[in-house]
Amino acid sequence: MSEPVRVTDADVERLAAQVGLTIAPESRAAVAQHLAGLLAAVLLLDEFALPEPIEPAPRFDP
Amino acid sequence: MIDATTSARSIAASVRAGKTRARDVVAGALERIARRNAALNAFTAVLGERALADADAIDRRLAAGDDPGPLAGVPFAAKNLFDVAGLATLAGSKINAGHPPATRDAAAVARLRAAGAVLVGALNMDEYAYGFSTENTHYGPTRNPRDPSRIAGGSSGGSAAAVAGGLVPLTLGTDTNGSIRVPAALCGVFGLKPTFGRVSRAGVVPLAWSFDHVGPFARHVADLAAAFDAIAGPDPLDPACSTLPPPRCSGELERGIDGLRLAVAGGHFARLAADEALAAVTRVAAALGARREVSLPEAHRARAAAQVITACEGSAYHLENLRARAADFDPMIRDRLLAAALLPAAAYLRAQRFRAWYRARVAEVFREVDVLLAPTTPWTAPAIGAPWTTRIDGTEVPTRGHLGVFTQPLSFIGLPVISVPLVSAGALPVGVQLIAAPFNEAVLFRVAARLEADGVVGAPVAM
Repeated sequence: MSEPVRVTDADVERLAAQVGLTIAPESRAAVAQHLAGLLAAVLLLDEFALPEPIEPAPRFDP
Repeated sequence: MIDATTSARSIAASVRAGKTRARDVVAGALERIARRNAALNAFTAVLGERALADADAIDRRLAAGDDPGPLAGVPFAAKNLFDVAGLATLAGSKINAGHPPATRDAAAVARLRAAGAVLVGALNMDEYAYGFSTENTHYGPTRNPRDPSRIAGGSSGGSAAAVAGGLVPLTLGTDTNGSIRVPAALCGVFGLKPTFGRVSRAGVVPLAWSFDHVGPFARHVADLAAAFDAIAGPDPLDPACSTLPPPRCSGELERGIDGLRLAVAGGHFARLAADEALAAVTRVAAALGARREVSLPEAHRARAAAQVITACEGSAYHLENLRARAADFDPMIRDRLLAAALLPAAAYLRAQRFRAWYRARVAEVFREVDVLLAPTTPWTAPAIGAPWTTRIDGTEVPTRGHLGVFTQPLSFIGLPVISVPLVSAGALPVGVQLIAAPFNEAVLFRVAARLEADGVVGAPVAM
């Protein structure tokens, strides 16, 4: 089982700058909490060993 | 006598037979909306004169000997995520209220109108369909007709409440992670999330392109089937719409369930839920004689993948507005979209790869089973303004987000699902999901029709 993911307000500010977002100071704590939740979901997926041939490519039929 | 309890099928039969005028039916629906909507807040727009004019056109066609369609004179309404010609498509937002009016109806709206149904209004929802509660900051919460102190569910909350309250017999909604099934369960009505690609999404504001679905709500299985038959089928305007010919599920309702292989979903679908939600599945399974239990492998990770994909696609769609005018979003939605915009691309692709694996495993299950049963929601409708978290079986979970715990692992691989309602006096409704393999809606209708005929499920009007 994964450890809880920790995201700080400073993490949010730094990441937001990289994608051109300005996050109001009063929103940073809530955004950090939601991002921690999403990263916990990502961790759950990372922990699962997918077979190598599995890929997300679409299929093109004639 | 046509009233709030009359089914869409009965209305259409009466109108088509010349026993009732479409105008009188629509006027009755408009009167009920005028009388009850202030308490429920299901509608965000009502098309009074225009709806009456459409009804008059139906009556004129009948008088001229034309066939106005199988849903002649049936009043319906659509979530305000759907384009309606002449209205700005709100998508539950303040931002979109400034958009110009749509110039044409969304495909599903147009198809219901082409079948003779009459559009009477647009319905409340969670902003941009990214929620399960319809506690909309801009337009107010939609109230559950079974208990107005409680949420209607979401994001298609207005669609479920309008049907449960008897304002209209049919509505349209959308479902990405449960937005038809959750409100259908909490309000005690039938809701269908068809197979991905069965119903055109043209003219519908997206949440997550790769698994947004359009579907109907109704109080009767036959009405749900009639609406589905009317809206399903290929559409070149939706690039994800299947080219398979449309089904005719209305003809399946009398076939019964002999020979169908039925099973209950265990594991993930039997955990972190209130007793009444699990008891509903037990009751439906007993009525159907479904004794087998099967597991969908790694369903909890499937839910996680659905959350990640929704977050990434949703935030990508709204990124420009998040940069330019974040303050104009509903705070409940904005902070989640902002967080989603910070996820790395690798997370999205990991989720997509998991999706491919999971879809293949679930397809194997459906080689052995025709219809799978699972709870729709983990509990009944929470109070409006309920605390953010709820403790269940020693685990703290988000009160609203957890409503999708059983719906999310199904829709992101496109499976068709009907949520059937169990409504009893003195208790809040619960829903049970009937789940099938892709493009096999017909078996769902056979099972739902049997349950309704046996009185196991049903959706009386909440007066």
